Amino acid sequence: MARRNSSDYAVVWPRSAKAVEIRPLTKRLASIEGKTIAFLWDDLFRGDEIWPILKGELSNRFANVTFVDHDAFGSTHGDEEHRVLAELPGKIKSMKIDAVVSGMGC
Amino acid sequence: MLRVSAIAEQAGVPTSSLCCEGFLGQAKTTSVGLGYPNLALATVPGHVDVQTAEELRANVLNTTVEHVIRNLTGEIAAAQAVADPDPQDIVFEGSFEEVNRLFLENGWSDGLPIVPPTKEKIAEFLAFTDLPPDHAIGKLLPDNRLATVWNVAVNGVMAGCRPEYMPILLASVEAMADPQYGVEHSGNTPGAETLIVLNGPLIKQLGFNYEQGALRDGFQPNTSIGRFWRLYLRNVAGFLLHQNDKGTFGNTWRVVLAENEDSLTKMKWPTVAADMGAPAGESAVTISRFTGGNVIVSVFGDSAEKLLPYLGNALVTHTGWEVIFTVGMATGTYRPLLVLSPLIAETIAKTMTKQDVQNWLFENARMPAHLFEKYLWGWTNLVPGKRTLNDWVRLGKIPKAFAGNDPNRLVPVVTKPEHIMIAVSGDPLRSNCYLFVHNGMLGFPTTKTVKLPQAWRAKLRDAQT
Repeated sequence: MARRNSSDYAVVWPRSAKAVEIRPLTKRLASIEGKTIAFLWDDLFRGDEIWPILKGELSNRFANVTFVDHDAFGSTHGDEEHRVLAELPGKIKSMKIDAVVSGMGC
Repeated sequence: MLRVSAIAEQAGVPTSSLCCEGFLGQAKTTSVGLGYPNLALATVPGHVDVQTAEELRANVLNTTVEHVIRNLTGEIAAAQAVADPDPQDIVFEGSFEEVNRLFLENGWSDGLPIVPPTKEKIAEFLAFTDLPPDHAIGKLLPDNRLATVWNVAVNGVMAGCRPEYMPILLASVEAMADPQYGVEHSGNTPGAETLIVLNGPLIKQLGFNYEQGALRDGFQPNTSIGRFWRLYLRNVAGFLLHQNDKGTFGNTWRVVLAENEDSLTKMKWPTVAADMGAPAGESAVTISRFTGGNVIVSVFGDSAEKLLPYLGNALVTHTGWEVIFTVGMATGTYRPLLVLSPLIAETIAKTMTKQDVQNWLFENARMPAHLFEKYLWGWTNLVPGKRTLNDWVRLGKIPKAFAGNDPNRLVPVVTKPEHIMIAVSGDPLRSNCYLFVHNGMLGFPTTKTVKLPQAWRAKLRDAQT
């Protein structure tokens, strides 16, 4: 690229290539009925109050839903974070989890 | 929260991420760096911290439940990847003012003028490392971009650094990319800011200020390397206000703190870098995030016994909610930094080693247990379960120093004496000190040795003449 003036500056981009590929989300469920839903929590912002409300309402609306509570995993923020995240794929498989609800971003 | 969802999506199950209303924007930008720009979010209206139980229930039932069902069963629009420029391509040519306008408009600058990053300037920086420009130092969340030698040089130029600072810039970014440090937390709401502490021969070789005004801008290496840190967080890690940086208030960047190693040598006290395990005789950076700090003015007394109580009081009175990093959220990760002026340090050192000081402060700088517990789960909602400190001791999670049933008993603010970091800097002939309050695992102290290029002394001589 030719410079317009001798006093011009030819500059580069200050950012960097992404180290992650954009991937599609996994296929959504046909229905919540009969599924196993897990809750993972960062031990913050009243997730322990919100999850029971969600469980109750989902049970009212859909039959035979099974829930896995956050204490089956540990906190996703703080001391246990790296371990809990590393163990998650294995637990999803072994506990036959169909969907995950994760909180709280506040 | 979103990292959990990204892992679960990768494992093949649909997810819904619960997010307070004010954090939807951050969640969307963070999702891009996780490789799933369209992670499904379920809104919790308002902020849960100030809602009654009834309000919270109504918000969840009226809004959040519907979002969760839609997230897990509905169709979600596919995401499109955005093409980025090649980092070494020229993206623009123009005048100083035009370049600066472009960088501001694209969020590549901090609001101050930048030095235009031309290839000629970048080459000057690259001459001060033996690593190739495309060498990857690590990956930085939340944007998940590569930290490379090239973009360290680019942002160093922009910040107003001199080329010979390049080895320090590289060591700082190496520390930033270390998982122990936790760069991904740099946009958290307390808005803590990193301090880089420098030790070793480079302090004098490069002309760092380590005396009067040590924490003030005004000396090129201290100031420009501090600015570089924040520009790098912006441009490579991706921490921009109103996007991934959710600091409620925030701070501006801190200048580099260089220790007074003449004073330390005289006292036979180890440097911060030595305390962190860096080899003797080499330069090293130690990074750590601090939520704030305060100056401890006119510390008065002619002996350690007379000086330490005031310093201990400062350690307790300036530490507040951060005790969740002592016990609770991230037990044992609270690392406050006490900066002593040489005058005070050398008076204490007449009778005490640095370790003695740490032990004294651990034993004597104590907080009432009831106040400690209020920070954990009384005045905040940061540690669930309402466990008392005594409960934590019974569970074997913290030392016995925290045990007891009397709510007025005094307990330490750290779990080990050596967790109280001590540096020596500032006006050699004034009796003030400074305490930095720490952000725990969300910016854990991390030290990296500075690697110098071959023919360092010759290159430095050429650069300085």
